[in-house]
Order: sequence, then structure tokens, then C-alpha cells
Amino acid sequence: MLYVVLSLAFWYAVSRIVLGWVNYAAVARPPVRPVPNGVEVAIFTTSARGEPRAMFERTLAACGRVRYRHTTYLLDDTRDPRFRELAERHGVVWLELLDVPGAKAGKINRALALTDEPFILVLDPDHIPFPEFFDHVLGHFEDERVGFVQVSQAYYNQRRSFTAAGAAEQTYAFYGPGQMGLYGHGACVAIGANCTFRRSALASIGGHGIGLAEDLVTAIRLHAEGWRSVYVPTIVSRGLVPEDLGSFYRQQLKWARGVYEVAFTELARLTRRLTWRQRLSYLTIGTYYLFGVTTPFFLAIPYLFLWTGVQPATMSFAEFLAVAAPVAVVGASIYLVMQRWLCDPRGERGLHWRGMMLKIACWPVFLVGTVLAVFHAEIPYIPTAKEAVRGRFLRLAWPQLVLIGLYLVTITRVFVMRTRGTSEASLELSAEAVWGMIAFATLPVIAAFGALYAAWQARRLPATAPWDDIDVDAIGGDA
Amino acid sequence: MTRRQRVAVVLVFVTCAAAAVAGLSALGSASAGPLSAALGWVGAMTGSIEHRVRERVEGPGRRARLEWVAPYRDDAARLRKPEVVLLGAYDGDIPRTLDGVVALEQRIDAPLPIIQAYAAWGDRTDQQFPLQLLTAINGLGSIPLLTWEPWLIDFESGRHPHLPLRDARDQHGLAAVSRGAYDFYIDAWAAAAARFGKPMLIRFGHEMNDAYRYPWGPQNNTKEEYISAWRHIVTRFRQAGARNVLWVWSPHVAYEYWDLYYPGDAFVDWVATGVLNFGPIAQWSKWWTVAEIFGTKYERLASFGKPVMIAEFGSLAVGGDRAAWYRDALATLPERYPAVRALVFFQARDDQTVTYQKVDWSFAGDSLVSAAVRESLGWAPR
Repeated sequence: MLYVVLSLAFWYAVSRIVLGWVNYAAVARPPVRPVPNGVEVAIFTTSARGEPRAMFERTLAACGRVRYRHTTYLLDDTRDPRFRELAERHGVVWLELLDVPGAKAGKINRALALTDEPFILVLDPDHIPFPEFFDHVLGHFEDERVGFVQVSQAYYNQRRSFTAAGAAEQTYAFYGPGQMGLYGHGACVAIGANCTFRRSALASIGGHGIGLAEDLVTAIRLHAEGWRSVYVPTIVSRGLVPEDLGSFYRQQLKWARGVYEVAFTELARLTRRLTWRQRLSYLTIGTYYLFGVTTPFFLAIPYLFLWTGVQPATMSFAEFLAVAAPVAVVGASIYLVMQRWLCDPRGERGLHWRGMMLKIACWPVFLVGTVLAVFHAEIPYIPTAKEAVRGRFLRLAWPQLVLIGLYLVTITRVFVMRTRGTSEASLELSAEAVWGMIAFATLPVIAAFGALYAAWQARRLPATAPWDDIDVDAIGGDA
Repeated sequence: MTRRQRVAVVLVFVTCAAAAVAGLSALGSASAGPLSAALGWVGAMTGSIEHRVRERVEGPGRRARLEWVAPYRDDAARLRKPEVVLLGAYDGDIPRTLDGVVALEQRIDAPLPIIQAYAAWGDRTDQQFPLQLLTAINGLGSIPLLTWEPWLIDFESGRHPHLPLRDARDQHGLAAVSRGAYDFYIDAWAAAAARFGKPMLIRFGHEMNDAYRYPWGPQNNTKEEYISAWRHIVTRFRQAGARNVLWVWSPHVAYEYWDLYYPGDAFVDWVATGVLNFGPIAQWSKWWTVAEIFGTKYERLASFGKPVMIAEFGSLAVGGDRAAWYRDALATLPERYPAVRALVFFQARDDQTVTYQKVDWSFAGDSLVSAAVRESLGWAPR
């Protein structure tokens, strides 16, 4: 029984590597297409109650500096007159859209009805577009079959905390070779920010999708409708990544729940209308968060053995390593090789150890997301926090503290047992199994310390807002 | 999808995947490579270091009590000509633990410096050089004795295309050993043994003159083929620098002409045989005394001029007085058989090699036998 469970967990890990490889095998970069003249294009950005005006100052100023002629709309439901004043000061059209169900996507659909530009860039308000933004995008719409063009997503605040660095590291591979591979398979997806849609494409699926993974829902519906998508792996805007652990956990829960929602509802419903490569791609995306289901089994194995002597397989630790090593080497080399396709190789190359630590620490969040999805339970729509939120240390860190505590108790018990309890004649013959298991238990504990540090950092708010240092006049030209 | 549908989808998926795992694992088979050998070394060293740490914390252990064994344990030359009788045991829990040997030691109140294990040839992980076991035996203060059985059919044809198919492999299999067909395996052992470095006894291809038991017997091979395979193996070990290995030649003396299988003075360090009293459990056996099994062959065994070992020593319980059998055999052993320099108790609990039913050679549960053995070993060095 235990053996079967563990085998499944291993197979999942191996199949992730294989799926990643299948994805990277298709890596493609779209051709550069000249920008057509006279295309009418709109920028939609939304504001909600509680979002900081200082951030909008910069975003709207940057929108004004985007070179291609366009109209910017602020989709506002703050009921705060200062937002109207702010919009008008930056030459932005202010649309007050009150009591619209469906959060951000609902407002976008309402605004679509009020406007008529054939192309719409949906811009998250924390994202500061570069002046050359549309120069990289609009040419691709010359092909009438293209429904949306997604550009890379990058950040300007990843150096401000451990969490921010880790969260950003987790996205580097996705926005580089990940999306380029999806593009190669004809399935690059829309992400909440920086996606430019063709109005007729959105109209063909009844408007922008709504829900936790509204972006992914929109993408899969457009693909099912036969629209093509283009991924431009170029950084033409920078935004925010969660800076504190609590916000990061909330973001991950939302994504996990949302991704499953797409897998269960949209993928199940639309799968016959997708190409097999698109199906595989969406399956790859849809199973990412199963990591939260398999990780607890891996975590439990050493403790199960050290406390009860139960082993999932009659395999020595050395044998296990010998079998697992080639898999690990293949996985790591794929990861290193594919780093040549990162969007900003100089800034993004590396081992991404913070990202890995946060991912390992995040398994309870993924697991909750999985369980909620299987039992069809809702979680409320949570906009990803723009500013760091102060978190109580214990509230964020208790899963890690429990793990570290269990580890220390176990180590102590092992030490006492093996100096007093275990017979001398069994000692050397059981050493490999016991210390191998302890080594196996140590890796997640090291990762837990990363998350612990992140939770510690979240106790104090940074003195400045991330956008304080952004000079809109100087930004851009990364590409 | 509704909640019920979702749960159903997940359940179906999990069931299919579980079935696939069960199916595939039935097909696979384990094997070993150089990486696992290196990792095995790390495992052995870990155990060795931990043992030393424990001795620091808890004080000296069995190794310190066996200080008098040190000359033989650490010096192969001394082990070729021991001045005392070295007792030993094989226990059914080996290689999982050596607890059984220590428990026996306490029961019979005599130290057991030799610990025997059995290793078969083949591709499986448990058929590779047992470095951890040997390190553990040495760490515990004992001398390892390894009975090394050439089960040629345990090599997979797929991995060794140069070998004959399994059905045809045992016929003159030892001639193939002499020709070097199994050098890939022999050399790996030789190199590992040289790295281990401590004196160890290898009893290769025991009971080679019994045509009814093992595939390396005369039903498949000639005497000459056996001798030449033996010499080939010893030579490969010597070429690999494994001078720490002592070679124990161990025929079945109940069959005639056993002495014709002797590989030669230059290739043999010890001469051994088994002394097992099966009692009347099979048609071919009855209650034999040690004098009947061993005494009649002792002179010939001793005539090779090598130290003599009783490599498997024991009696079953049915058909006679087991306590008397042991007392009779042990009390005057050094005087009666002065060339015997090692005696290894055979304590397998579920031995099935000869009989159709499992038989129990251990006397752990029999306090009368334990007492008889204890009282008869007053002469044992300690």
C-alpha cells in the first residue's frame, strides 16, 4: 500500500520532468513583426478600494508614455473622487463601474461594452509598461487568426525581501522557456497582466472569463474556439511580486485553486476542441499543484521509518540513491540548459534556491488548493496584495516550526536509541538505513528554514513602498 | 463538474495509477552498478564511524572484549596458522543483524570470533561484495567467513550476452569460470576485497563433490574443472592485490574421492567440512555421532597440513539426545582432533537446502543443549 503510494509520488515527480522536457522541446520565439499604423488600441487597468494611489501615479504616467497611439481607461470602483482626479490628470479615461459582479474580469467585460477599440491590453495596475510596449505586440495581430498576444512578466521589487526573490525565481522558468514551449505547442496562455486581446476574439467566447483563474479560463476558451496565441518573450513592463510570505501564500492558494478549476471544468468540457499538443500543455499546467499532494508522502517516509521501522520498499538507501541519481541529474541538467531561454538571462540565471525553498514550504497551501478543488469548495477572490502585508510570525511559520520540532525530537530520539537502545551487533548493519533516512529528512528542514526566514521578515513592514524608487521617465529599453 | 463527479474522476485516476504501479513492479528486477558500490562504501563508513562514536560515549564494546582475537583479525599470516581453536557461528538473521551471534555467545558463555555469512553469485544487489556486513563483523571484533556459492544462473542473460543461456549455463559452468567468462564479477569482488583490506575467509564452491545438491557439483563439472576454476579465482584475487583473503576448501566428506578435488597447497589456506547430524528425518540419514561423521575422515583432512575447520556444525533435535551429541562432540575436541582450528556453529532456523521441509538447526530455545554446550567449552580461548 505504502509502496504504491510512494511509487505514484515518484512517478509524478518523474512525469513532471518528462512533461517539462516535452514542453521545452517545442521552445519557439515568434518572428519580429513590424508595427502597423493606425491601429486603435486601448489599455484597461483597474482600481479597487484600498489600492495605493501612489502606485497608480506611476502606472498611469507610464501608460501615457507608451509610444503607440492608444487610449488608457481606468476601470474604477473605489468611490474615491481622488482616483477620478488622478486619472484625468494623466489624460486617462475614467470609467466608474460600480457593483459589477466578477471582480476584475467583470469590470473588463463591462468596459468592453462601453468602448470600441479592436485591441485591448489588460494591464494590472502594479505593472509599469515601457514606452516600446506595443511595438513588440501589435504586429502579431496582422495575422487574423491571432486572438491574443502575451508578453513576458518581470518585476521591479524582487530584491526587497526573501519572499519576493523566491517568488520571482519561481516564475523565471515559466516566463522564459515555459511559455515559449507552450507557444511552440500552440498553447501559450494568458496571464493576468500584460495580455493584449483582439476584441472579436473575446466576443466569440462571450467576454473575458471570470473566476480565480480568469486568465487561464480565457486562454483555454480562446484556444478551443480556434484562436491562435503568441508569446513574446520580451520584457516590456515590470510589476510587483508578493513581498511578504502571507501574500505569497494567498497568491499561491488562489492560483492552485484556480488552475484546478480550469482543469476540472474548462479542460474537461473543451478538451475535444483542442489539439493534442494543447491538451498536453494544459495537462502540464493543470497538474503542477499536485506537488502539494505528493510532498507530504515524501516528508513522512523518513519519520515513519525512524519511529516505526516501516519502509515503503525493501531497498537500501544506497540503492535508492543509485536509482534516483540519474533522474535527478537529468532533471537538473534540463533545468540548467533551458536557462538559456530566460527572458533576462543576466538577472535571472542561477540555482533559484530561494524559489525551491518556498516551493517545498508551500506544499500545505497547494494541498489545501487541491482538496478545495476536488470538493468543489469556493475561496473568495483575493487580489494579489500590492503592498507588503504585515504577518504574525507564528501564523505564517507554524507548519515549518512543527516540521523542525518533529525533526529535532526525532534526531534526539535516534541519538539516544543508538547509543543506549540499539544492540551493538545491529548498529553498523542498520546505520545506512537510519542515517540515509535522516539525510532524507534533513533536506526539507533546510528548506523550512528559508520559509522561516521569510516569515520572520514579514513581521516588519518595509519602510518604503516598492514604487517609491521607480522613475517613470527612465524605465524601459530592457529589450 | 459537480462535487460527486470530481471525486469520482479522482478515484478512477488513483485506481488506474495504483494498478499500473502494481503491474510494472511485478516485471522489474533490481541490479547493481558502480554508483551503488560507491554509495555502499559510504554506508559502511557511516556505520563504522557511528560505532566508534558510540564506543566513545558508552565505553568499549565487544571488540575490546575480543582483544585476544586481534592478531588473527588483523594479520592474515597469523590467521593461516592459528595457535588456538577459533569458535564461530552462522545465524539465520545474518545479514540483517549480528544479534543472534552475540546472544548465542552469552548462552554458551564462550566468545565466537568467526562469523559466517553466505553469498551467492549473481546480478542482484545482495549478491555483490557485502562490504557493510564485513565491516560490521570486523567492527564487532570478529573475523568474517564468507561461503561463496557460484550460482551461475543468477546472472541475467540480457545483461551478459556473452554468457550461454541459463538452461545451458551450469553444464561445465566451472570451465567457463576458468576461461574468464565470469571475470567481470570475480574481479569486482577481488577489487572490493582488496579495498576492504582486513583478513577474511572465503569458502568457495563448498560441497563440490556432492552430485545431488549444488549446480557446481560433479553432475555438471569434472574434478579438473573445479580445481582449475578455483585456481583461476584465487589467481584473480591475488592479481588484484587481495592478499587479505584466505581460501577455505570445503568438500562433503561423506562422498568418496572428495580428496581428489583438492586445488593444491599453493591455493588453499584452510581445509574444511560440514558436520551436520540430520538424525532420522530422511531415508538417507540416521543419528550419526561426530566420530562417525567426522572422526573417520579426520586423518585425511589433517594430512593436507592446513588448519582444519568444521564450517557447519550442528544437530537436529529429532532421533536422539541432542545435548549428549554436543557434549560428546565438544568436551574433548581439542585432544581428539588437534588439527581442528575452527568450529562454526550452524544456527539456521529454517534451512531448506537439503530437505523438503524446513528444519531448525538452532538450539536457542533448548536450555538443556545450551547448558551442555556451555559446560563442554571450558577449553575455549577467551
